[in-house]
Amino acid sequence: MNILTRSKKLISVFKSSVLLDRTGVLRSVCSVPKARKDLCLPPLFTTNVPSCQHRHHLSTLNLDTKRLYSEICTESDESTKSTGVFREESQEMESDSSALNQRPPEKFTIDVLVSLLRQENAVDICVIKVPEQITYSDYFIVVSGVSPRHLRAMALYAVKVYKFLKKEGAPNVKIEGKDAEDWMCIDFGDMVVHFMLPESREVFELEKLWTLRKYDEQLKSMPTETLPEDFIYDGKVTK
Amino acid sequence: MALSLLSRSLAGLLVESSSITHQRTFSVSAVAAAIQKMTRVRVVDNSSLGNTPYHRAPRVIHVYTQNGIGKVGDKVLLAIKGQKKKALIVGHKMPGDRMTPRFDSNNVVLIEDNGNPTGTRIKVPIPTHLRKHEGEYSKVLAIASAFV
Repeated sequence: MNILTRSKKLISVFKSSVLLDRTGVLRSVCSVPKARKDLCLPPLFTTNVPSCQHRHHLSTLNLDTKRLYSEICTESDESTKSTGVFREESQEMESDSSALNQRPPEKFTIDVLVSLLRQENAVDICVIKVPEQITYSDYFIVVSGVSPRHLRAMALYAVKVYKFLKKEGAPNVKIEGKDAEDWMCIDFGDMVVHFMLPESREVFELEKLWTLRKYDEQLKSMPTETLPEDFIYDGKVTK
Repeated sequence: MALSLLSRSLAGLLVESSSITHQRTFSVSAVAAAIQKMTRVRVVDNSSLGNTPYHRAPRVIHVYTQNGIGKVGDKVLLAIKGQKKKALIVGHKMPGDRMTPRFDSNNVVLIEDNGNPTGTRIKVPIPTHLRKHEGEYSKVLAIASAFV
C-alpha cells in the first residue's frame, strides 16, 4: 500500500469520525458503521485495513466534499450517478445533490468558504470585497456564532477543508486568537475570516470600518491629534 | 492712525510666531534604538487608557523576546497610568529591513492578555509586513484604517 492511499485513509478516518458524529445518514449506508466509529475516533495508522473499510473511507472522503458541492450547486438538475458505490449514499442526501458529474472544487475559493460557513449555521455572514488600493487581502469576511464553542468548531472545520483542498506547496493556515473565546481569525492569504460573538462584533464594528474606510464613525469621533505648543520638530531633546 | 495700524500688524505677527513650531538652526539626530525597557512609547489606538493624559508617559517595562530588543510585531509590557498592560509594537524609530517603513515615533497598540486589542480603531498607518510575521496580528490589522 503506498503512502498516498494511507494518508488518504488517515484523512478519511479523521473525517469520518467527524461525519459520523454529524450526519445520521451514513449509518444506513455501510453495514458496520458503529463498530468502525470506535476505531475511527483515535486517529490511527491502520496497517491492515479490510477492503470494505477502504471503500467506506473513500466514500466518506467524497461525501465530505459532496456536502460542500450540494451547497454550491443547488440549481443544477439531478444527473445520472456514475458508480454503484455512491448510489445509496447520494439518495440519502438532499435531492438537489448532483455533484457527481460536477468537478470538485480544486481551489479553496471564496465560494467554498461561504458555502462551508452556511453549512455550519453561521449567523450573519458578511463578505466584503476589499478594494485594490488596500493591499491587505481580496475578501474580508466577518461571521458571528452562537457560542464560543460554535466559533471554534467553524474555525476548525474551515481549516480542515482548506487542508484538504490545498496544493502541496501551499502554507498551512493558523487560527489566531485561540485563547480569546469571543474573537478568532484565520488568514487564508487572499481571504481573511473573523469569527466573533455578536457582542464583540457590536463593539468593534469591523464591517463599518471596512466598507466606509475613512468615513467610519468611530474614526471620525477620535479626536484629531494636534502638536503641543512647545513641540520641537526634527530631533529629540536629549536629557 | 499709522501707529495703531503698526501696532495691530505687530500684534498679529507676535501671535503668529508663537503658534509656529520652533525650528532649530542645527540638526539633531536622536538615539535611534529599537524598543527596550524604559523606552517611552506612543499609544496609537483609541482606547481610553492610551489617550487620557497622565503626568508620566507610558514606558516599556518588559519586552517579550529572547533578547530584550523589541521590533515591529513584538509584545511588550507597558506601565500606563500606574497599571501594567500588554501592547504590540507597530512601528519604531530605528530603521529596519530595506523597504519597510520607519516611523518618527515608537508606536504601540494596547492589547489584552488574550490577544484582543483594547481600542477599536487605529488612525496611524500600520506596516503591512506585520502580516508575514509569525504571530497573531490579524486583529490589529483588522482595526487599522491606514496601511503603509
